[in-house]
Amino acid sequence: MTVFAAVNVEAIVIFTIVLSITLGITYWASKRASSAVGFYAAGRQITGAQNGLAISGDYLSAASFLGIAGLIYVYGFDGFLYSIGFLVAFLTVMFLLAERMRNSGKYTIADVLSFRLRERPARVAAALGTLAVVAFYLIAQMVGAGVLIQALVGIDFTPAVILTGIFMLCYVIFGGMVATTWVQIVKAVLLMAGILVMSVFVLGKVGFNPIELFNRANENKGPESTFSLGPGTFLPEPIDTVSLGLALVLGTAGLPHILMRFFTVPNAKAARSSVVWAMFLIGFFYLLTTFIGFGARAFLGEKGVEAAGTGGNLAAPNLATYLGGGEGTFGGDLFLAVIAGVAFATILAVVAGLVLSASGAVAHDIWSSIVRKGKESDREEVVVARIAAFGIGLIAIAVAVIGGSGLNVSFMVGLAFAVAASANFPALLLALTWRRFNTVGAVTGVLCGVISAIGLVIVSPKVWPGADSETGSPIGWTLANPGIVSIPLGFIGCWLGTVLSKEHGTEHTFHELYVRSETGLGAEQA
Amino acid sequence: MATPTAPRPGEPADAGSSEVPQYDWEALEHTPEFQELIRKKKRFVLPATIFFLSYYMAFILLAGYAKSFMASSVYEGLTVGYVLALSQFVMVLVLGIMYLRFSNSEYDPLRQRVIDMAQRGTAREETPAAGTSGADR
Repeated sequence: MTVFAAVNVEAIVIFTIVLSITLGITYWASKRASSAVGFYAAGRQITGAQNGLAISGDYLSAASFLGIAGLIYVYGFDGFLYSIGFLVAFLTVMFLLAERMRNSGKYTIADVLSFRLRERPARVAAALGTLAVVAFYLIAQMVGAGVLIQALVGIDFTPAVILTGIFMLCYVIFGGMVATTWVQIVKAVLLMAGILVMSVFVLGKVGFNPIELFNRANENKGPESTFSLGPGTFLPEPIDTVSLGLALVLGTAGLPHILMRFFTVPNAKAARSSVVWAMFLIGFFYLLTTFIGFGARAFLGEKGVEAAGTGGNLAAPNLATYLGGGEGTFGGDLFLAVIAGVAFATILAVVAGLVLSASGAVAHDIWSSIVRKGKESDREEVVVARIAAFGIGLIAIAVAVIGGSGLNVSFMVGLAFAVAASANFPALLLALTWRRFNTVGAVTGVLCGVISAIGLVIVSPKVWPGADSETGSPIGWTLANPGIVSIPLGFIGCWLGTVLSKEHGTEHTFHELYVRSETGLGAEQA
Repeated sequence: MATPTAPRPGEPADAGSSEVPQYDWEALEHTPEFQELIRKKKRFVLPATIFFLSYYMAFILLAGYAKSFMASSVYEGLTVGYVLALSQFVMVLVLGIMYLRFSNSEYDPLRQRVIDMAQRGTAREETPAAGTSGADR
């Protein structure tokens, strides 16, 4: 296959264009990122529509684009089922958290907890939850980036990871949230345009009749194919599917890099409208993904499965080559290069958002509020945030390079969602709604959520003794996704810690957080 | 939105509850306007949340336990599963837009009244002193 061979010249040109645009943005943004509110929250000057685009850009990772399309290509319906949870999750964000976050927070999710709880333990707990989510998500994205760039452009894994990491750090360190936001907006526009053009090409080949596309896809499965128009091929265990679904629907409302986006808009009204924008864009995107996945099945057929790689990740790029005229033609190479460029922009936007939210947890929560106890200057906070971003980025690059392309990252994104749903989401929701909730409850809840989610993944059959093992986990644990156990444990931890401790006084501070989060009275100004 | 001037301008760290509140938050919480806001919001958000979680979980459970039903055809290659998946998209958009509408027409005016009251300082006079009204703990 050409995609595995030498360096693809068209792809290099497209990559250079993408990088030039994003570096231009970073240069322009660098002047606006000198204050803390500029660095973390883009001066709260992002409009609802812009933030909706940026949320889509922050949320739709390469796993959504190439991953879901590939899963639909290989497994059919189950791939689509995966994406439904990612979309429905935005109702949780909208109904329970978006406006309240904007009204009561400043830069990080810890701000909301420490508003009414004892500051130091609350911030440490929230920072732990944030860093755990970011660690798993970021490493999965970095390894994924290396594998994809290697396959699509011909650059080796290690330089590909380092290249991605350097650009990610450039955006965050020099351009802060302003650059990160605009990189995410550019990426969202590119991604939407790319998938729309591909969908039109695919539908054009079947007379713009989606039913005909499904028929053709179904005819093109081989005798031993995993592809099905019905469920059960990729997710054979119903209880695992439920567990995964729960983690996706509640986990999005605990993802620090998504919640952080609500601090960038001027008020709660804009936060609300940005979720609706994001819902439309993300819904539209996942709908079109089915045309890509079924299109790949209809036109590449069973014989294309091997070339599509693990999980069918290269199904979309291979389909692009086919739609452009086939391998070796100018149109085919160009279309492939465009889709590769879109995938690259996709990765960059997501990792930049992740690093920025982690730098907030380290610099704003741990350094400024705990080490310096709020005595440092605005300028010092930004410097520390940049240093933190640099350190976090370096660690992520190092882990990805040392772990290498063989690192099993398939469970990591699911784990990130499980930790977010089990640790961050219960603590945030209860801090905003439960009068009695206290610091001990928050700390035990976050600890229960983080430890149970990670622990259950470690003993899950995919990880211990390993993905290829036939025997399964030595302690007999069969659940691959921890959500169905760890999410209730997170809530129980919050509740138990609260009722068992003698801590009082948090009811009193609840009045302020309650009124402020619901009305916006006294919220951070634009 | 015309909220009052921030109580902590230019302060690097969020000092939160350790500061003397600028408003009488407890009194504001017990104003009829605020209580009405909470009641109205709950009346939509609570059933809507229960509905979307149940509807989504029902879809997942059907995919898990009623595989052949989900795989059966509605029209040629269009399966029951795909149609139900599309209905989830419709649900998300309908509930999202409903929430947006209610927010603009019902919640926001009530919020504005609470904010106006706080700025005028009238909430303090209308309700009993702090402490006596917190019986619902």
